[in-house]
Amino acid sequence: MSKIDAALRELTLLEEGAEEEKYINKVHPLSKLLVTVLYILLVVSFDKYDLAGLLGMVLYPLILFIVFDISFAKCVRRTAVILPLLLFVGMWNPFFDRTPLLLWGTIPVSGGMLSFVTLLVKGIFTILAGYLLIATTSIGKLCAALRMLHVPQVLVTVILFIYRYISLLLKEADCMTRAYALRAPGQKGVHFKAWGSLAGRLLLRSMDRAGEVYESMCLRGFDGSRGRGAFFAGVNAGKFTGKDFLWLLLFGGGLTVLRIYPVFEMAGRFVIK
Amino acid sequence: MSHIHITVSDVSFGYEKGKKVLNHLSFEAGESESIGIIGSNGAGKSTLLKLMVGLHTDFSGSIRIEDMPVEKSMLTKIRERIGYVFQDADSQLFMTTVGEDVAFAPRSYGFSEEEVARRVEKALGAVGISHLKDKQIYRLSGGEKKLASIATILSMSPDILLLDEPSVTLDPKNRRNLIRILNEFSHLKLIATHDLDMVLDTCKRCILICGGEIIKDGRTEEILTDRKLLEENGLELPLRYQGDCKY
Repeated sequence: MSKIDAALRELTLLEEGAEEEKYINKVHPLSKLLVTVLYILLVVSFDKYDLAGLLGMVLYPLILFIVFDISFAKCVRRTAVILPLLLFVGMWNPFFDRTPLLLWGTIPVSGGMLSFVTLLVKGIFTILAGYLLIATTSIGKLCAALRMLHVPQVLVTVILFIYRYISLLLKEADCMTRAYALRAPGQKGVHFKAWGSLAGRLLLRSMDRAGEVYESMCLRGFDGSRGRGAFFAGVNAGKFTGKDFLWLLLFGGGLTVLRIYPVFEMAGRFVIK
Repeated sequence: MSHIHITVSDVSFGYEKGKKVLNHLSFEAGESESIGIIGSNGAGKSTLLKLMVGLHTDFSGSIRIEDMPVEKSMLTKIRERIGYVFQDADSQLFMTTVGEDVAFAPRSYGFSEEEVARRVEKALGAVGISHLKDKQIYRLSGGEKKLASIATILSMSPDILLLDEPSVTLDPKNRRNLIRILNEFSHLKLIATHDLDMVLDTCKRCILICGGEIIKDGRTEEILTDRKLLEENGLELPLRYQGDCKY
């Protein structure tokens, strides 16, 4: 199976996971979206040296993984690809900020090292939160929730289109790389000399596809203004019930408490006493 | 039964200056006719269909859908009455689920949600894919996508059906299913295809195009049994007339 094939399969599995009959999947998407956004905002709001406080935020993804039986292994496999990017972004901190801030046993830990780890943890937490949202909410419901928050229709339409056509784009790319591989036996990957032509061809195919899709929309009543509502009329997020409000209250409140009080640090002090 | 008809008069068109894809085409298509448009690759079949729904309006001559000329100011009215099925179903299906896609046109034209639901059920039922209503489009097979794309058109209750290579990507069973659906559609339909056997099964009239010109317009049986005519224009006899030919 090629890497692109594997990516397509992952996409299907992710969508299937979002349609499962678990309690968390049935929670209103607006509740989940708001909690996720709050979580991300709170995580990034921690000071670059406040690793102890930040670690308390692990409780949210941890609870979701354990209570709602979401596969952590799958999550790691699907999100690991972003780790190198996080490492690349933060790896320069230890070189620029060498001021010793604390001692780990007898080893001095510099501010740069601490901020690097904090950045890494922040990145991992936000990715986990995003993953948990999309792993338990279908794209249609997510878009409906975005519309409830009055996110512009054009933006939500673009998200829907990207989601619909990313699989097609991957298939096109897969066809092209396979065709290349069959005519370049023994060669690993695509030679850099062919990158330009392959990317250009993919762009042209994408533009052709976009043109045809637009024509298809026009032929079914879309003219820029009329027909816009048709994108969302059937996308239903469901009714916002008391349970959904409770979810929002419980997790929103819990996360705020975790942000204000360094739970792990307090627990540590209590144990030492 | 609709009384709509199409009049194509002296139509010429080219994508590039000096290169005509269609050259002085004229014909009329009457109500409830089934017309197969055949020709070799690049003959201009798909282009002709695209002109009829106004996907290109910079052609010379005139095309009239009943009393409406195909020009920019009339496109909304014309497109309400014509259903166009693309060759590639992935270009036709742009919503996330089958049900949403089939509902797109009725919603765009402002029907009530009850009416939209009724039309969706009817269209999906007509092509036999009611069970796929909530399925994600990217998870459909090629044949299912083709049937879904036809359903998206049927939900508009069109007076005219234009189909561009409808049997491409279909297995024999789905192809037979498609032929049944087309035969059940009682309004005017034009089918541009290389599948000459399907033309025999669905169309009484046939228009043979070559190099952007109409070579012959007549009864399907008459044209599709004329080996010399077909071969001169880059085609072959339908498989059922080829006997026990060996490849």
